[in-house]
Amino acid sequence: MVSSDYAIQVRNLTVSYGPKPALLDVSFMIQKGELVGIIGPNGAGKSTLMKAMLGFVKRDIGDVLVFGKPVEQCRGAIAYVPQRGTVDWDFPVTVADVAMMGRYGHLKWWYNPSKKDTEIVDRCLEMVRMSDFKKRQIGQLSGGQQQRVFMARALAQGAQILLLDEPFAGVDAATESAILDVLAEAKKAGITLVVVHHDLATASEYFDKLLLVKQRLYAAGPPSLVFRQELLSEVYEGRLKVFTDLLKG
Amino acid sequence: MDTLYTLFIDPLTKIYFLKALAGGSIVAVVCAVTGCLVILQRMAFLGDALSHAMIAGVGAGYLFMKLVFGVEAAAGAMLVGSLISAFITVFMIGFVAKVSRIKEDASIGIMYTGVFAAGVVLVSVFGKYIHIDLMHFIMGDILGISDFDMVVSAIVAAAVLSVIILFFRYFKITSFDPVMAASIGIPVLLFKYVFTGCVSLIVVSAVSMVGVILVVGLLITPAATAYLLTDRLEKMMALAALFGFTSILGGLYLSVWLNSAGGGAVMLFATLQFLAVLIFAPRYGLLADWQRRRNMVPQTVIEDIIASMYKSAKPVSEGDVAKYVQTKPKMLRNAMKSLTEEGLISGSDIYELTDRGRTEAMRLKKAHRVWETYLHYMGVPDSELHKKAHILEHYNDLESIDYIHGKMGYPETDPHGAKIPPVYSDGSFCLTAVYGFSDKDVEIVSVETDKGLEAGDVVRITHTDGGWSAEKDGKRIPLTEAEVESMTVRFLS
Repeated sequence: MVSSDYAIQVRNLTVSYGPKPALLDVSFMIQKGELVGIIGPNGAGKSTLMKAMLGFVKRDIGDVLVFGKPVEQCRGAIAYVPQRGTVDWDFPVTVADVAMMGRYGHLKWWYNPSKKDTEIVDRCLEMVRMSDFKKRQIGQLSGGQQQRVFMARALAQGAQILLLDEPFAGVDAATESAILDVLAEAKKAGITLVVVHHDLATASEYFDKLLLVKQRLYAAGPPSLVFRQELLSEVYEGRLKVFTDLLKG
Repeated sequence: MDTLYTLFIDPLTKIYFLKALAGGSIVAVVCAVTGCLVILQRMAFLGDALSHAMIAGVGAGYLFMKLVFGVEAAAGAMLVGSLISAFITVFMIGFVAKVSRIKEDASIGIMYTGVFAAGVVLVSVFGKYIHIDLMHFIMGDILGISDFDMVVSAIVAAAVLSVIILFFRYFKITSFDPVMAASIGIPVLLFKYVFTGCVSLIVVSAVSMVGVILVVGLLITPAATAYLLTDRLEKMMALAALFGFTSILGGLYLSVWLNSAGGGAVMLFATLQFLAVLIFAPRYGLLADWQRRRNMVPQTVIEDIIASMYKSAKPVSEGDVAKYVQTKPKMLRNAMKSLTEEGLISGSDIYELTDRGRTEAMRLKKAHRVWETYLHYMGVPDSELHKKAHILEHYNDLESIDYIHGKMGYPETDPHGAKIPPVYSDGSFCLTAVYGFSDKDVEIVSVETDKGLEAGDVVRITHTDGGWSAEKDGKRIPLTEAEVESMTVRFLS
């Protein structure tokens, strides 16, 4: 499957739900093993971009390539880690159950998970240090542990790219640093990480590369390049002062 | 013996009872299993909507067969009609919610009452041709179940159960995380339609037994009962099936004993069963919750114990602590246990604060003294200072304490002249603040020195009569008083 140096290539992508396109002529490339943050104000098309990378939205024009292949042919190559708020934490599933869901894409519907699948799941839970909690219902974990379970599911999926939707939204400082640790470990294992992120204050610290999106791609590159006053003030109009403070550091 | 026989065995010898038991069980079990997914997808109202909408289909099917073929009460046509009306209702609900600003819950309310009303009008206008007992339809008649209904329910049950078991994984993942399911190529929408179809089928087959109003209960109540008892979907479904069966069994006995309507008795029994589980469930039950709350050690007790141990400055027994901390002996024992588990105290029988326990004590002391100073500023008489601060010290979030402390200009001592310990909101503290601090590994948080120490270094601190020193990478670095004063450290986590 690995047939390109780029994990994800988006070329001249336009997606629209109405007269005003949600994404307009967006192009960028993400290299293997990079930790990339997608930033931009509310309603800027971050989630549309994420859906496009998962192959969910109808593209007006443009391509999304995953390891050099059209995204539609790469089902499961990108693992999706949902936003905390969208998960029903009372759902009757255990840690092991959730991690096993990563294998579902590989299973024929009339087969039960094999021994090999169980081994893979065990190994992935080991990687995120959640082996001791296998039988725990997912609501009975701390925020950081919950995030790790979903990381394990993504790893069990065998995906080389992880797409995380706002993993830092509404978590406390301890959880935030726990999640960062998991990201760092996944990166060390050569996995490409794409993270939708809302907090500008931490963005430059957490990511190798940033994509600044508001309908168009305003900037892409290392944080020092993206965090330029004229760019930020154009994208986040009206809330300039905060950023002047931010830039001063 | 005779009474027991009359109560329990006698009904079993009656054909109508056995038929009701068999037919009811089939329907209840499949309802319960499907109901698990219904409540997890928060679609409870859908069952209600579908059952009400049916009457239009039943009426239309009856009328169609009678007028076109002259067949009276063609059961097959009524069944097909009710399925069609169920699907139309589901479609209309989704359609209205999608194209207008009406949200789905309101849309359900509009559509199912609308279709139900259409059915009622249809049946009464064509009353000459259609001989449907509306009352029967609304209340059901489990004790007078027909052979045809029985066969239909059995087929429906077998079909729906097979679909759910065969595609269990897919129903599980599309209920839990539809986005992820779609990302690995599972046709989420298709499964949603299949599932809605399944629910329609079983609702239609269950209405003849328990009636329009109670069918949603059969779908939801056993599943919800099981939900309180387990943390796994597989077990939840198995338990729900069991509760579905017991609802029918218990309900039928109830109806025989009380000579009441069968459907009502079944649902009454199911509800009582639910309430019993709600109270007695081992983990999610009210009793368990109450018990947990009762055994929970209040943070205030924990903090009072730490403070009293710090004050005594030597190892203490549980009895010593009890003299200072007002609480029940069992609570005290629980508190000592949880303190040990958290690593704040160590020992058995005779206890001692650990390093972490000591910093925690300092934090409390700081809170106490800051509050005391604050109260003093507020003009509270000195005689009441200590008592009030003793209550306020439990509001000891360090950042809040820092704020209050800062508002007063960071005084170093409290009104009694006692030193306010320098502990900071990130959990760091000054070396001199901890009583008897020596031979400990710590992380430096801040320091002013040119001796090659900096923030982030992990060092071993020793304090002897000769003064302070820090050991870094095997090298001992003596520290001056000024350097010690400038230094804050944190225990390694």
